[in-house]
Amino acid sequence: MVNIEDLRNNAKKLLEDGKVKYIIGFKKAANGLRPVPVFIDKPEDAAKLIWDPLCIHNLTRFLVDEKRRKARQKEPDLRPVGLVVKGCDSRAVNVLLQEKFIDRADIHIIGVSCENTGVVDEKKLAEKLKEKTVEKIEFGDNDEFVVTTDKGKIKVASSEILADRCLECPAHVAVVYDVLIGDHTKRKLDDSYKSLDKMESLTREERWAFWKEQLEKCIRCYACRSACPMCYCDECVVDTITFAVTADTTAEEKAQKIKWIEKSPVLSENFIYHFIRAIHLAGRCIDCGECERACPLDIPLRFLNKKLEKEAKKLFGYDAGFDPEAPSLVSCFKEEDPEDFIR
Amino acid sequence: MEKILNKKNLPRWIKGLKAFQVYAPSRDGDIWNYALIENPEDITLDYTSTVLSPKTIVFPQREILLKFGTSNDGELEITETLPQQDPSVIFGVRPCDAKAVFLMDKVFGGDFVDPYYWNRRDQIILVGLTCNTPPSPNCFCLSVDGSPHSKDGLDILMTDLGDRYFMESLTEKGDELFNLGKKLFEKPTAKDIKELAKIQADSEKNLKRQIKNIKKIPSLLKDMFESSYWDEASMSCLRCGICTYLCPTCHCFDMNDEVAVTSPIKGQRVRTWDTCQFPDFTMHSSGHNPRPDKASRLRQRVFHKFYYFPERYKNFQCIGCGRCISKCPVGIDIIQVLDGVSDHGA
Repeated sequence: MVNIEDLRNNAKKLLEDGKVKYIIGFKKAANGLRPVPVFIDKPEDAAKLIWDPLCIHNLTRFLVDEKRRKARQKEPDLRPVGLVVKGCDSRAVNVLLQEKFIDRADIHIIGVSCENTGVVDEKKLAEKLKEKTVEKIEFGDNDEFVVTTDKGKIKVASSEILADRCLECPAHVAVVYDVLIGDHTKRKLDDSYKSLDKMESLTREERWAFWKEQLEKCIRCYACRSACPMCYCDECVVDTITFAVTADTTAEEKAQKIKWIEKSPVLSENFIYHFIRAIHLAGRCIDCGECERACPLDIPLRFLNKKLEKEAKKLFGYDAGFDPEAPSLVSCFKEEDPEDFIR
Repeated sequence: MEKILNKKNLPRWIKGLKAFQVYAPSRDGDIWNYALIENPEDITLDYTSTVLSPKTIVFPQREILLKFGTSNDGELEITETLPQQDPSVIFGVRPCDAKAVFLMDKVFGGDFVDPYYWNRRDQIILVGLTCNTPPSPNCFCLSVDGSPHSKDGLDILMTDLGDRYFMESLTEKGDELFNLGKKLFEKPTAKDIKELAKIQADSEKNLKRQIKNIKKIPSLLKDMFESSYWDEASMSCLRCGICTYLCPTCHCFDMNDEVAVTSPIKGQRVRTWDTCQFPDFTMHSSGHNPRPDKASRLRQRVFHKFYYFPERYKNFQCIGCGRCISKCPVGIDIIQVLDGVSDHGA
C-alpha cells in the first residue's frame, strides 16, 4: 500500500535538500471531490500532497509548461522538477525523453503505485452511487475501492468504476522513476484493446455516421490538445498563427503562410483537426485518457488513439513509452516491417 | 401578466406555437444541451445544467458576415449575408443564462449596433424556469447580483409549483405566447401567489457557494495588474478554451476570410468565437504578444468580468452559473481565484 507519509517525507526531503526546484503533485481540492494539481516549492507544504483513486490528471503535461517557462527566463533555475507519476504518466515521461523534448536530468520522478487497480471514472462513480453523496474514495485491499458516502462506507469492485483505460493498462506502476512509493503491483489484463471491439464490429458506413455525429459537437476549445502531454508543438497546425513570426519575418512571408485549417467549427474542419491530432499521436499516445476526460462535450476521443495504438502494436510490435532509448515508431524502420500497404 | 399552467398542458401550449421553432434542453448521452424539439411531448424540464448555454443560439459560434467573389467582368463583388433566424422560443432557460443574454445585448447594442447579433436576437423569445434547487453544485448567482428567479433577459419566467407552473410574462413577446395558449391558462389564486413567494425565497437558500467580499473585488483588482498572484493562480491552467467557450457571457470573436477558390477569388468572411485564453488571441503581426503567458491570460479573464465590464456596464460579466468551475479539467475555480484576490488585498 502507498503510505502517504512516505510520499510527503520524500518530497519534503527533496525540497529541504534543494534537490528539486519544485514538485508537481496532487492536493485535495478546496471544492469538489477530484484532487487538483499542486506545485510545491516549500518543504512545509509537502504535507499537502495526497494520493487517491481520483488523482486522474497526467501531470507530465506540466513539463511542457516548465520547459517554456525556462526558455523565457534569463537565468533559469536548472535544478530538476519533481513529478508525481502513475504508470501511464511515466510512459508519457519516457516518450518525452525518447523525443529529446526533456532531459532525464530535468526531472526527478516520484512513481506512485496504482495499488493493483487504477483511477476511478467519475461518470461511472456517479452512476453507481446515484442516490448518495461521495465524500471520500480510497484504494481497498482486494481489487476494490472503499467509498465513504453520506450514507456510510461502501466497497465497490474496481472493475465497476475503474476508468476504461485502466482496465486495459499494461503499465500498472511507473516504468521509469527515481523513487517508487508503494508496491509493484500487477493487475490481471484480459484484453488490451477490448474497448475497441464494438467500434471494430461496425461497418465503414456506421463508423462514419458515428464520428460525424460526435465530431459535429466539437467546439474546438482544444482542451484535448491542451491536456495532452504529447501535444507540445510551439506551432500547432490549427492555430491562426502557425509559424513563428519574428522581427525579421517579411510581410510577404506572413501573407504567404499556408492556412491548413479554418477556425470554423464545421464538420470538415473538425475532422481535419481530430485526424491530424490522432495521426500525430500514433506510436506516441500512452493512453492516459486525458483528452477524453477534458472534453466538455463528451466526445469519445480515446477510441481514435486506442485504435492507432493497436495498429502500431499489430503491424510493428510497438508499445509507446516503455523504452526511452528505443527509436520512435515513426522515425525508424526495420527490415521485417510489413510493406504490403505500399503499392 | 401572471398565469397558472397545469403541467399536463405544457405540451399542448407548445404545440400551439406553430409559428415558432422550439428549443429546449435535451439529453445527449451523459450531457444536456439545447436542441430543436420536434415533438413537444419530448420536453422535460427536470434537467440539471446544460453544458452550453443559449448563447450558442443567440450568438452562434460561426456566423457568415459576407460573401466575396469576382464577377464575369472582373469586378470584385461583396454581398452582405445577414442571418435569417426563424422566430424561435427557447424553453427551460436558467435565469442566470438569460441574464447572460441581457449582458450580451449591452455589448452588441449601445453605440455600435451589431446587425448580425440583433437579426437573431430579435427573433428569439426566452422562457425561463426558476431554479427551485441549484442545477449545479457550483452555482453562485447570488454573489453576482443574480438570483435563481432573476428576470433579466427573460420574456417569461416559469416556476414549478409541483403539479403546475406559475407563469409570469415580462415582455410583449411573453404576452404574445400567452395569447397563443389562452384557454390553457388559469388566473393565479392568492394561494398560488403565496406558494410562488415561498418557493422563490427558498430557492435562494439552497445555493452552496458564494464569493466573499464581491463588492470590493473591482477596486482590489485595480491594484493587482502587476501582482505575482496571477502566476500562482494560473500554474495549473492548461491553456484550453473551456472556461470561455462555455461561459454564457463571453462574446469575443475572430474574423477570417475563408477562401473557397483562389482564382477567380471566391469565398466568405466568417466570424467565429475566439478566446483570450488562446495565445494567438493577442499575437501581434510583429510577433510580439502582450499577453505572453497563462498568468496574463487568466488575469484578463478575471479583469474583464470583474473590473472592466462592471466599470463600463454597471454589471459583473459573470452570472454565477459555475460552468467554468465544473468543466475546468484542472479544477481552476473562479470563486477561489476571487477569494484569493480578497485575501491578497487584505
